Amino acid sequence: MNKRGNILTENIIFIILNFIFLSILIVFIFSQTGSAARLEEQYAKQIALMIDASEPGMILTLDVERAIREAGDNYKKEFIFIEDNLVRVQLREKGGYTYSYFKDYNVNPYPKVGGKYVFTIKKNE
Amino acid sequence: MNKKGGDKIISVYWFAILFIVAGAVVYMMAVFYGNPQDVRDVEVNLLIDSVARCIVDIGVLKEEVLEKEFDLLNFCDLRFDAEDMYGWKNDQYFLRVKILDFETKGEIIKPLEEGNVNLEDFCGKGNKNPICVEKRFYSIYLAGEKFEVNIFGVVRKTEKNA
Repeated sequence: MNKRGNILTENIIFIILNFIFLSILIVFIFSQTGSAARLEEQYAKQIALMIDASEPGMILTLDVERAIREAGDNYKKEFIFIEDNLVRVQLREKGGYTYSYFKDYNVNPYPKVGGKYVFTIKKNE
Repeated sequence: MNKKGGDKIISVYWFAILFIVAGAVVYMMAVFYGNPQDVRDVEVNLLIDSVARCIVDIGVLKEEVLEKEFDLLNFCDLRFDAEDMYGWKNDQYFLRVKILDFETKGEIIKPLEEGNVNLEDFCGKGNKNPICVEKRFYSIYLAGEKFEVNIFGVVRKTEKNA
């Protein structure tokens, strides 16, 4: 009876350890793929390239729902800033990512309801 | 007794395998996500395309391009300032536009150059160096002259992309 009890306990511990191991691995993978720092870089580069491909008079809309979800408690209505040919995306209190674009345009970003961001492209006077 | 010992050895091997798998996953993730995303290839192609769209209108080379005082950056609304990081100044881009005679390949005007000309020396030397792209296309001029327009672009920004 005792021997059977030992075998069962060992098996349960073995299974639990395996589950813990796999859970840590999965959490690690997800934390790496969708981290705020990673998203800041992705959005900053995406917006810079969007502006580089744009023409004056265009209005561009970007879905930023993933960034809002990732920002969580740190979420502020405005987290994309464009100034002096630089796009800065900041989803964390301390942090942010900056990337430059080569078009000499006046670009204004506006947050919009529904997890969207709008960019107006104008020629610099 | 033997069976129990055998089970323990199997579980030790099992955990060893798990740790090897975990190590491989962490290594792959670190290699894949540890490096920044490289967007320079897209960026340099966009740069060349925007210059092409700017100096040529429906296949016809714009008159201003052949003028002596032609300012490429100003005319095409380009600005080569990059963020002031890693000691970067205005030296992360290079652009050269050549207008050649379509038949003889002789230069119609002196090549138009903007940005950091030194970047050209590092072309084709791997991912940790600037990305260079060259595009050429056919164009005509007012009186029907045939030109070949050759645009060469370089983007460095290595620290943020490679």
